[in-house]
Amino acid sequence: MTRKLGTLAILLAVLFVGFSGNSAQPVADAQDGVTELTIWWAEWDPANYLQQVGNNYEEETGISVTVVQEPWGSYFDRVAAEWAARGDSYDMVVGDSQWLGQGVEEGHYLDLTEFMTSEGLAETVTPATLQYYGEYPAGTGQYYAYPTEGDANGWAYRKDLFENPDEMAAFEEAYGYALAVPETWEQLRDIAEFFTRPDDGLYGVGVYTQIDYDAITMGFENVLFSYGVDWADENNNVFDVVNSEAAVAALELYKELYSFAPPGTDNAFFAEMNDIFINGQAAMIMNYFAFFPALDNPEINPYRDVTGYFAMPAGPDGDRFAALGGQGISVNAYISEERQQAALDFIRWFGQEEVQAEWAALGGYTCNINVLGSEEFLNQTPYNAAFAETMTFVKDFWNIPQFGQLLEPTQRYLHSYVVGGEGTAQEALDGMAFEHDEILIEAGLVEE
Amino acid sequence: MSQTTMQGPTRRHLSDRRVIQLFIVPTMLLLILMNIFPLIYSLYLSFTEYSIISTTAPEWVGLQNYRDILSDERFWENFAITGRYALYSVSLQMIVGFGMAMLLKEKFRGSGLLTTLILVPMMVSPVVVGVFWRNIFNPSIGILNPLLGYQNLETSPEWLVEYPLYSIVIVDVWMWSPFVMLLALAGLSAIPDYLYEAAAIDRASSWFQFWRITLPQVMPLLIIAVLFRTIEAFKQFDLVMGLTGGRPGTETVSVRLYREALQGQFETGSSSALAYIVLVIIIAISNLYIRALNRVREA
Amino acid sequence: MAQVSKAPRSPVLHSTRVDKVGFGPRLALRLRASLVIILTIIMLIPVVWMGMTAFKSRPDAVAAPAKVIFEPTLEGFVSLLTTRRQLLPDEAEEYRQRDDLNFADEIALKRGQAIIGPSQFPKQLLNSLIIAGVSTIFSVGFGVLAAYAFSRFKIPGEDDMLFFILSTRMLPPVVVTVPVFLMYRELGLYDTHFGLILLYTAFNLSFSVWLMKGFMDEIPSEYEEAALVDGYTRLQAFRKIVLPQAVTGIAATTVFSFIFAWNEYAFALMLTGDTARTAPPSIPSRIGTGGVEWAAIAAGSLVFLIPVIIVTFALRRHLLRGVTFGAIRKG
Repeated sequence: MTRKLGTLAILLAVLFVGFSGNSAQPVADAQDGVTELTIWWAEWDPANYLQQVGNNYEEETGISVTVVQEPWGSYFDRVAAEWAARGDSYDMVVGDSQWLGQGVEEGHYLDLTEFMTSEGLAETVTPATLQYYGEYPAGTGQYYAYPTEGDANGWAYRKDLFENPDEMAAFEEAYGYALAVPETWEQLRDIAEFFTRPDDGLYGVGVYTQIDYDAITMGFENVLFSYGVDWADENNNVFDVVNSEAAVAALELYKELYSFAPPGTDNAFFAEMNDIFINGQAAMIMNYFAFFPALDNPEINPYRDVTGYFAMPAGPDGDRFAALGGQGISVNAYISEERQQAALDFIRWFGQEEVQAEWAALGGYTCNINVLGSEEFLNQTPYNAAFAETMTFVKDFWNIPQFGQLLEPTQRYLHSYVVGGEGTAQEALDGMAFEHDEILIEAGLVEE
Repeated sequence: MSQTTMQGPTRRHLSDRRVIQLFIVPTMLLLILMNIFPLIYSLYLSFTEYSIISTTAPEWVGLQNYRDILSDERFWENFAITGRYALYSVSLQMIVGFGMAMLLKEKFRGSGLLTTLILVPMMVSPVVVGVFWRNIFNPSIGILNPLLGYQNLETSPEWLVEYPLYSIVIVDVWMWSPFVMLLALAGLSAIPDYLYEAAAIDRASSWFQFWRITLPQVMPLLIIAVLFRTIEAFKQFDLVMGLTGGRPGTETVSVRLYREALQGQFETGSSSALAYIVLVIIIAISNLYIRALNRVREA
Repeated sequence: MAQVSKAPRSPVLHSTRVDKVGFGPRLALRLRASLVIILTIIMLIPVVWMGMTAFKSRPDAVAAPAKVIFEPTLEGFVSLLTTRRQLLPDEAEEYRQRDDLNFADEIALKRGQAIIGPSQFPKQLLNSLIIAGVSTIFSVGFGVLAAYAFSRFKIPGEDDMLFFILSTRMLPPVVVTVPVFLMYRELGLYDTHFGLILLYTAFNLSFSVWLMKGFMDEIPSEYEEAALVDGYTRLQAFRKIVLPQAVTGIAATTVFSFIFAWNEYAFALMLTGDTARTAPPSIPSRIGTGGVEWAAIAAGSLVFLIPVIIVTFALRRHLLRGVTFGAIRKG
């Protein structure tokens, strides 16, 4: 029994030691120079490529680079928790373009303007990527990230179907023009309808519908932008913009596309898009370019040899836009100056053309102008040409700190209408405009 | 329940008082230490306007967050959905779980193995369950529809679109009925045989035996099972997110809470208020159960 | 005394319960058995489906309609257990010429990758074992003690204490994760095994106290009283009389506590980094360039399921033994 008492005492002692324990953080000593750097990114293949590039950095400089990968679904929550703690667990973070507002306005990101402009680093990447991944607020020329993984929506399609003479003849007879890669959204709709043959297990198209976070919004804004509509006008007014006639037409088209999609894509995002392409259900799918490498692998995609890629089609007035994905790399504002300097040194090294070329060769989507334009890059994969084309007309959702609040109703209304079939497109967009307006008023971005 | 007659400390090394302290203090201490800060901190935040990612200090707004929540129709809808979900899934779990326990209470060859196998669904990580059941429900690539005999893709049901809430209930019942079963089984095996013998002498019907002996005897453990399953149902999050992503019609309070608290919004103040409202509701419901539990025990 | 400790343990084989008679006990039993078998099969279909997916290639995993017959591959396990490096085209060519490649290398090579080492998964699995195992021992241990005290003694404020214990489980974790995260960082418990063990112990305590109290209440106190009269101390009576009778309850509580701790997701995600990360956060998020790697997720879930099944199976006898203290109640 005394033994029992003793055990209990030990247990309690352990408890208290735990609580009063050391609060020292496991961060390397800054005294004797920075010997390692930590980068946070989501858990996916490009992060592995970055790790490979980082290994080269260690060989050259002796400073080791670790890319810590967090699961996609919770990546943002993890980073936010770190922000909340003003934490120094990471030196650099490869963050979504939408996070810029929050990261900048709350001071979590280090200002890179001087660093980016003084040595011409800003000029090495395409203007669109610099604007969306690096600049905040829009148009000010202040930069907080170096564009790292360029990404946007594009299309993959089945060449064996598109180039089949019988199909081509039948299509031309039915629609009065030749079957080819669609140049407009209307054509894309026709082709989707044409290939929708449930009896053969074939469907025309796959589009994003997932309600989580931002998926259906990303899919829809491809159409919306191309129809000449933005999320707001220059005064941040949303009425008669997001619920304008053109927007209604865009949404109706998107819903129509969904009706030509395989059953079970009611909550679909990039993973499901590739799935329905690989299993032969879809003739065309939209997806981020970052997920196309899988389709170029015969082990994964049985249709690899007959898979083609194209960039977003145009709207009724010829406008072409693609929804932006991708991330820029930012530096943690809460680490010591010495570590910040070490992080900047890494980014400077990473931004060199040779390194960017290698980054691209591994499968990373560089934003470097010269690499993007090189013959080598364009011919490296079947989708790189479409990617390079796309990166000239990308456009993004809001990136102000309130983007999360704005996304939530957007997702809800779009999903309810497109998948749930509730109400009309006009009603959905009216509701959305109303809620957006409220959020923007509260944020002080619009006059009441 | 049954008290020990407090006898003089004849040969006892420790008084009962000391024993009680020794036995209870570690538990209470640990729970208080672990919970006091999060509870008080989030209670405080629930009266403020604050975002965790912000560098601005919390701003005291009194009851504003609570007023906003209680006057927002969508929150009421969230609560209604959660209530319906909890009701369906907990009652089905009780019926299925208790039914399985009744089937298994008499041992037969291999019953031990079968019982263990039935427990397997409960052991799978809830996040994985969500991911895989979503695959199973999928009309194109899933196996549920083919197993049910649907051949044609066009006419087969899209479970997660047509019956989203029921689909979640199905998965929850699949996963947690074994939990109820195991508790009921333990309760059943503890029923003394003489009760049945006495009933047999009185030539009571099996129906009578079930209502008057079996059920009342298992009741305390069943109520504990209901209590915990209800609490969990109100907190249910992983399954909903995994299966439907919280699409309209399945947006439970937990999903709503997640969207407010994280997911790019970081409305820490008002999400804390919402959490406290959920807490109060769970406390109220738990109290009802505990009262029922005490009544059953006294009977 | 001797007679007390020899309480009958063997299961009652010949029941006198009336509910067994009726239309022939044998037929009824057979009917039950077949019903149970059908139920078991239904319950297991999803798990079997998961098991099959673990051995599927990428196209087979997403085939429409679903494929039941397929050519098994270990792709899923390879991508679960290894870290790979993307090979540049000429590197891959060179690599292909080598003849010292094992089967795993070959599988990775088909995707143009070279294996460079083990993945985090084995380490995470070990973390899960340590954290879930130790926290289960603590929570069941503390829980049994507290439940005994609550069950046997009149304690002032007992109901309130019990309710407080229960209420610690009521607040949705989404809200608590951030405050706990901040607290843990301050205390240096972030990303430590000890931190998660503490948290899971606390999390499971409410459950184990309540469940054990339910079992303790069922155990008649006559035995202990007799033992106390015979001169046992309270602690001796607890250890020698009460614990053996509470085995079923302890086994059930252990299984449940272990499962909860083993599968916990939200806190593990927020409160750990590289060192103490358990497996659940990373199993469902295996995203390669091809999107969701179904086979790897299934393989991970399958491997992750095995320890729980072992624990449950090991405790099966106790779990299903039944408390046979009918004798004393009769008396």
